[in-house]
Amino acid sequence: MRTKRTLLLVLMAAFFVGQGFLHHSAIFPRWRKDYSANQGSLGTAGLNPDQLLFALIGLREFVAGILWVRADSFFDTGNYDAILPIIRLVTWLDPKQIDVYATGMWHIGYNFTDEDQRSDRRYIPSALALGKEGARQNPHTYEMFFETGWMWYHKIDDDYDRAVEWFLKAHERPDMLPARKNLLSNAYQRAGEVDKAAELYFDLHKAAVKRVQNEPEVFGHLQNLETLENNLDTMLVRMVQRGYVAKNRNDGSFETGAYDVNPPFDVGFSAKVTVVEPRVIQIEGTWNVLPVGTRVRAVLRDADYETDKAAALHWDKTSSVNLDPPRDKTFMQEQLFVKNRRFNRTIDMSKDPTMYPFTSKDYVLEFYYNPRSAPPHIQDKFGWSGEGMTDKNFLNTEVRPGQRVVYTKMSLTREQLLRQGEWNPIDGKVPILRTKNYVEAGQSAQDDLIIVPQLRGAGQ
Amino acid sequence: MRVIWSIAATTVGEAVRRRVLLIILLVGLLLLTIAPALGQLSARQETTVLKGFMLGMIQLTSAVIALVLTVYMIPNEIERRTIYTILSKPVQRWQFLLGKYFGAVLALALMMSLMTAVQLLIFFIQQGEIAMELARAPALFFVQMSLLAAVAIFFSTFVSPLVNFFLSGGIYLVGSVLSPLVDTLAQSRGTTPAAKIGVQVLSTVVPNFSSYNVQNPIINPGQQIQNESWYYTMVTVYGLFYVGILLVAGILIFDRREV
Repeated sequence: MRTKRTLLLVLMAAFFVGQGFLHHSAIFPRWRKDYSANQGSLGTAGLNPDQLLFALIGLREFVAGILWVRADSFFDTGNYDAILPIIRLVTWLDPKQIDVYATGMWHIGYNFTDEDQRSDRRYIPSALALGKEGARQNPHTYEMFFETGWMWYHKIDDDYDRAVEWFLKAHERPDMLPARKNLLSNAYQRAGEVDKAAELYFDLHKAAVKRVQNEPEVFGHLQNLETLENNLDTMLVRMVQRGYVAKNRNDGSFETGAYDVNPPFDVGFSAKVTVVEPRVIQIEGTWNVLPVGTRVRAVLRDADYETDKAAALHWDKTSSVNLDPPRDKTFMQEQLFVKNRRFNRTIDMSKDPTMYPFTSKDYVLEFYYNPRSAPPHIQDKFGWSGEGMTDKNFLNTEVRPGQRVVYTKMSLTREQLLRQGEWNPIDGKVPILRTKNYVEAGQSAQDDLIIVPQLRGAGQ
Repeated sequence: MRVIWSIAATTVGEAVRRRVLLIILLVGLLLLTIAPALGQLSARQETTVLKGFMLGMIQLTSAVIALVLTVYMIPNEIERRTIYTILSKPVQRWQFLLGKYFGAVLALALMMSLMTAVQLLIFFIQQGEIAMELARAPALFFVQMSLLAAVAIFFSTFVSPLVNFFLSGGIYLVGSVLSPLVDTLAQSRGTTPAAKIGVQVLSTVVPNFSSYNVQNPIINPGQQIQNESWYYTMVTVYGLFYVGILLVAGILIFDRREV
């Protein structure tokens, strides 16, 4: 009897060791790779036990579907804050819901604004993190790679090499839509990689011709081919007019030829900043270009805000989705619209204290203009990377290596921005900052007249 | 072996006659039939929701059946004193316990097969295709529920049915989050080494039910999985090891118990 019990105990121990070995060495690594609903950790912090329970009993996708329908009603009523936890919950419950990732990313990146519709860009790192997570969870389809690329291309509107990186990943996926492939070429152009852009257009054109030959009855194929022909045609003309072809010949023809970007044009940037009221600033200045479409970026931020480059946030700093942006930090970005060679914009940050908390002591106001973000008709003069642009005082080739941008910055204190102490609005001084070259402008009747663009020699 | 088989066959007969089990099964089948309507709740995800809901329902219903079926098995025999009649014959206690367990597993197999067949039929009616991949997940759910039944049988040798229901159900829930928990903690920078070791120990001691949740690639096609049958074999062997541990432990306890 005793021997039998001992045998059974030994058998139990053997089974125990066997299951432990199997689980840790063979089963768990495979389960994690192939069967886990979440490819990698999503972080479940903040989930209630009842929400967790739904997931446990195997109804993840069902619950996720219902929650997303509920979120729809919040979109309708404009209750945007309520949507954020739903996005997080749905993507956790069912990480294969690409629509939720894409919509969530757009929502976080675009929908949080102040009273004047300026985006709260402190959310963008989170939006990008959601895109990265969506791509990681759905690596078999192009969609989240494309959407993340689009966020870099359209919303951040500066680091186009990152857009190229994501669009390339989207291109590797077999389900990438042909019509969307054109965007990679645009991104290449904005990233200054003109040869690659042209090469891609030729490849896409070749593929489009083949599709039309194979299925002539499909109207979409024809439409796509015509778009590509048009794009390719425009691009080749621009390559010639902007002197790109001549420059790459290295035979001196660029220096002597009449190209749009040669000689570089002085934009004559100057600016004056006045804190007209607490949290309200007026920015005036000059920009020596007549065609409509120039927007100079102005950024007001905490001096110690973590950034990786000038006039920007560290957009890509996180891979974890944090739906609560740093509420103690201020980051305001505005585009100063140039009209008749001047800009004049009053930025009121007094109505949105949660977006502009002004808790730091020191602030930086940056002015930044990058021709890569400019519309094509402006780029026709300035070139893809600023070859045709200069500025006697503020041309900068360091803040964006390989590009010629206009950049300068000014310092402001919290007391100045809030009009406190010696800057109080009753009997204090008015904080005014100027660039050295700023000249006061007299009002004229012409100030309200927008002059129609004229590319060649515009503004000269 | 014949003795074990006889007890198992009798247990199956008893199980299919128990009204409470039939009602649970009927509710499960009804929920399966309304699944196509729920699929409409999610744009572009109808098939995903349909598959996810149906597989979830099979798993949930099977877990409830497995618990209700097994927690009463031994205590009822003792309470009704029918165990005396059985043990007075040339039947060893271990044979009785194994017979009861295999009977429960066979009854589970019957009921789960029925649910799987209904699921395939509904999917065929709704989508117009025979999706045999939908039978793969219930196959592993069956191993999972056999393990759950072994947990409940083990506890039924020394605790009351109500306590057993919550105890086994609790172990099932904990076991169902083990892999995601280990995964999340392993990747979280804030996790202390002690917590990581603790979870590893827990995942070795507690049966890991989450290894059987293989529905993700079935619900979301497109994910490439290599050598799936190898994984299925491994988790089945893992389940058999654990069932072995629990049955042997149950036999050791039941052998010494006064009835």
